[in-house]
Amino acid sequence: MTSKTSTGPVANTGSFRDPANRVYELVSQDMAGPTRILRGVNKDTLDIYQDLSNQPFFKKAVDNGHVVATKLLAGADNDARAILADGWAGVLEHTAIPFITYPYEWTFSMLKDAALLQLHLIEKSLENGWTLKDATPYNIQWIGSRPVFIDIPSFEPREDGQPWSGYRQFCSTFLTPLMLRAHLGIDHLPLLRSSIDGIPPMEAARYFTGLKRFKKGVLSHIIFPAKVEYSIAKRERDSAPAKRRTSRNQSLAMVLGLVQSLIRLVKKLSIEIHHTDWSQYDKTHSYQAADLDAKKAFVLKHASANRIGYAWDIGCNTGTFSRILSDYCSHVISVDGDHNAVEQLYLEEKKNRTSNILPLVMNLGNISPGQGWAGTERLAFDRRRKPDFVLCLALIHHLRMSSNIPNVLFLEWLRSLNAEVILEFVNREDEMVKKLLTNKKEQYEDYNLHHFLMDVEKFFTIDNRESLKDGKREILHLKPRQQLP
Amino acid sequence: MAKLHNSRWISIIASLLYPSIAFAYVDPGSGSVIVTTVLGLIAAIGYTFRKYFYKIRRMLSGKKAEDEQKNDE
Repeated sequence: MTSKTSTGPVANTGSFRDPANRVYELVSQDMAGPTRILRGVNKDTLDIYQDLSNQPFFKKAVDNGHVVATKLLAGADNDARAILADGWAGVLEHTAIPFITYPYEWTFSMLKDAALLQLHLIEKSLENGWTLKDATPYNIQWIGSRPVFIDIPSFEPREDGQPWSGYRQFCSTFLTPLMLRAHLGIDHLPLLRSSIDGIPPMEAARYFTGLKRFKKGVLSHIIFPAKVEYSIAKRERDSAPAKRRTSRNQSLAMVLGLVQSLIRLVKKLSIEIHHTDWSQYDKTHSYQAADLDAKKAFVLKHASANRIGYAWDIGCNTGTFSRILSDYCSHVISVDGDHNAVEQLYLEEKKNRTSNILPLVMNLGNISPGQGWAGTERLAFDRRRKPDFVLCLALIHHLRMSSNIPNVLFLEWLRSLNAEVILEFVNREDEMVKKLLTNKKEQYEDYNLHHFLMDVEKFFTIDNRESLKDGKREILHLKPRQQLP
Repeated sequence: MAKLHNSRWISIIASLLYPSIAFAYVDPGSGSVIVTTVLGLIAAIGYTFRKYFYKIRRMLSGKKAEDEQKNDE
């Protein structure tokens, strides 16, 4: 896929918290993804990077794919020159990540694997005289189903006696959400979505009352820190100045021991995957084998017609059709609102190191919004990178009848993506629609194939269509209408 | 007036039941130095014990440290 690029590097709206560096992107005008990811760094960070890039442990982490591949750009590079003009001392270039995601879109095991990668990198750094100055899941992204650490300026040489400054951030953003899910069965994703800095100890402690405090890791990493923070806040709220607490007397054994104990704790955290609506989709779908084969053949025919760069499978369930797409796309973003279905897809895909499927959990009636500073620090799901191809199978009846989103609004949103679409319409005669309508007062009388096709024609041209399940379902290949009627 | 007294009592009781502290100028995160010192001391004991345990086990089994590291990865 070729795409028009903008005239120069643009500062990333989510990269400003560390004053020592800033990420810049060369963004294509059609939002087809960044063509280059660059990072302006100050003099200290540049010196540290030059030292770091020669460290065997760092080279090994890059070779293993744990850390994003990075190189120092020469000043002669036109884009680097533009960034240097902003006052930075040097410019790094990173391998571009296919699609930026946030921890509130990851399943339990994705967050767990990201936590283990973060801890593994800290452990290896400490063993080699280095450390990482922070520990946030926003520094980890995904290439397919493989986590990759992207924040190179986090690495710094460790001074003697230096404590691990990322401990609290690690607990708030990784460990506490994992423990809430594993120990209490609480859905951690809405909490992470609303608190982008994570769940602080005093807030987390409110969930762990009574005997729940004695669950693995809770007393040490939630209750004790909460008590300490509470007593500091109580003591210092009315007094100024604040007491200095910059003691630097923690031995390597203390820091490394703490990191290794966290690795053991995180490895032991687990959840059971219960049978939800979609987690058993492969066994419980309502298709006969012949219809399912016809549906697969339809998807295969249109997905394989062109080499697709980048596709979305929205409403992916356990990823049966994402896998068909993955053979013809460079990347597939597979999204579903059912955590356990997506978890199953991730656990299957992570076995394959070269998987190009990135599973995400998201209610498609309430996609991730733009948030953080100025609403652009973390971008809305549909404002990151436009897909070339969208698979949307048996989703629209859920949006219509469970989320009350009119078909025309959904189709308008789909058209805004400017991509080819394969869409499966589930008619009202289908047993799954009947099930949805059984106990509803509102019967959505306008929900039928005739009205649906009229709405489709407003935004798309129908390139191909086929009946499935004796006319109870219709699968369509749509191309975005360039001139709307 | 009586209503005012009631609401005052309610807020006193509520603040006792749900203590909350204003954090405008206090950095509760500064306490993590205390937390990591205490947890680090406990962890260091285990770390040191494991280090010597593996050393002794290696000596007895004749296994090289690199082999063990590979197994760990």
